[in-house]
Amino acid sequence: MRIPILKLGRYLLISVQVELDDQTALQFQEDLLNKIHQEGSLGVVIDLTSVDMIDSFIAKVIGDVVEMSSLMGAKVVLTGIQPAVAITLIDMGVSLQEVQTALDLEQGLERLQQELGG
Amino acid sequence: MSNHSCIEIANEWGIVSARQAGRELSKDIGFGSVDQARITTAISELARNIYLYTEIGKIDLEEISDNHRNGKARGIKVVASDKGPGIENLRDVMVDGFTTSGGLGAGLPGVKRLMDEFDIESIPGEGTTITTIKWLR
Amino acid sequence: MRSIVLQHMIDNKDHYIEQWRVSFDQLLFSRSESTIKPQYIQDEMKDEFVSVIFDTLTMDRHSRRAVVKRFVERLIHDGWIVSEFIMSLQKLRRIVMKDLSKHYDKDKFVDLSSELEDWLDEQITDLTTEFAKNHEEVKAIQKVALKELSAPLIPVFDKIVVMPLIGTIDTKRASQIMENLLEGIIEHRAQVVLIDITGVPLVDTMVAHHIIRASEAVRLVGAECLLVGIRPEIAQTIVNLGIDLGNFTTKSTLKKGVETALQMTHRDIITNEEPVTGGGLK
Ligand SMILES: Nc1ncnc2c1ncn2[C@@H]1O[C@H](COP(=O)(O)OP(=O)(O)OP(=O)(O)O)[C@@H](O)[C@H]1O
Ligand SMILES: [Mg+2]
Repeated sequence: MRIPILKLGRYLLISVQVELDDQTALQFQEDLLNKIHQEGSLGVVIDLTSVDMIDSFIAKVIGDVVEMSSLMGAKVVLTGIQPAVAITLIDMGVSLQEVQTALDLEQGLERLQQELGG
Repeated sequence: MSNHSCIEIANEWGIVSARQAGRELSKDIGFGSVDQARITTAISELARNIYLYTEIGKIDLEEISDNHRNGKARGIKVVASDKGPGIENLRDVMVDGFTTSGGLGAGLPGVKRLMDEFDIESIPGEGTTITTIKWLR
Repeated sequence: MRSIVLQHMIDNKDHYIEQWRVSFDQLLFSRSESTIKPQYIQDEMKDEFVSVIFDTLTMDRHSRRAVVKRFVERLIHDGWIVSEFIMSLQKLRRIVMKDLSKHYDKDKFVDLSSELEDWLDEQITDLTTEFAKNHEEVKAIQKVALKELSAPLIPVFDKIVVMPLIGTIDTKRASQIMENLLEGIIEHRAQVVLIDITGVPLVDTMVAHHIIRASEAVRLVGAECLLVGIRPEIAQTIVNLGIDLGNFTTKSTLKKGVETALQMTHRDIITNEEPVTGGGLK
């Protein structure tokens, strides 16, 4: 299964709507990095509103994606992390400290605009 | 025995099936959304460890009740068992950040925090059984 | 040995039930929350009470209490008031007394009436004790509910909410607060949440730990936390205990916190004036 990546000007938008199994997560990592390279994107918003569970593996994949993207010059904002998922991550001791967040896609885009100076 | 299921973990798909079964059962038992996420995540961690570190294993899910705890308590019991290499340094693996596979090492200590009861039995060369329980409050 | 009075009541059960039932037809059983309730519910309740009293005549005190307990639980659940039940027992006393006086001579009657008093006292005691016990339980439950509610989320400005914490924070309450907080942030689409600890009597490592966890979770759902209401003695304990509030923005008063929050969201308001996707869609 592949997660669709939408292009919005200099930004990429991803809304994760599928159950994140390991293969899908890793495939996504690869696809996103390729797309950033191809498009020269400056910012990425990954919306996780529909994701009902993030375990340590997926957390690691997400953390890695953020770091790798940033190496390639693209800022990543995670949006829509559900309260239950957030609490579980904190319980696990995974606080994704380096990662930028916003409430939803709209606020995520705002955040990118703000950081990248419009 | 309808509220009992057993999922074999032989490949990655087993991980997904196990956590889906866990989510359904915890919802049935009446856990709220936060506890559902906790239970599902714990199951995912245990299943992934089986997938990563052993050839094959299984996850047993069961609704349980306990009459001793003031009144009647209901809960979910998750048992992850495998006949893999076992864990030699039980104390080390319960420390946050300990990993032999380049993971976050959050798995086992995380599971312990997510659930109410946690018990690990492991014999090197014979296998590992991890039993955890979450009570409905 | 069963007392003569009880035996007498058992033997004349139907007669007494009929008389008693008539006597308290005038009596209005009431419920606390509503003044008017349909006749049939009244009747049902009266019938049930009659059978509780008469069915238990043959039981020992222990089994009787079990029946009374169950009955009272139901009464409380449905919100009935106990006084009418006690009053109706007084009516029963009058009926039985009158009857006894007809059947026995004066000396015997004195004995028997004190027997009856004893039995009635027991009934009333059991009934009221169960009521009191149950009320305590209900009150205890209400207290818990109140506590859980005492972590409300108050929207003050667009995108800014305040959560005043009041009272001691234990692990159970902390997780309740965390859930309220996160759900509230999403509901109000808040970007900044001010956690006001003015009302928290004591901040130890445990409380600090809960607050830090909450702020990390808040960040994950996409908002930011400001800790306000730090009184001098709280600041002292925090430092003395070596608690690291690291990258926490803290302010002494709610007012200062709100100012900071406004600044933080003000930036957003300025960027909002440009269309969000402006750069991209052209
Ligand atoms: N069922 C098992 N059989 C054998 N060894 C195991 C088993 N489960 C865990 N281990 C060992 O315990 C270590 C710690 O496991 P834990 O789940 O805590 O972290 P991880 O799997 O390395 O990383 P993460 O779960 O954060 O991705 C593993 O690296 C592995 O060596
Ligand atoms: Mg693991």
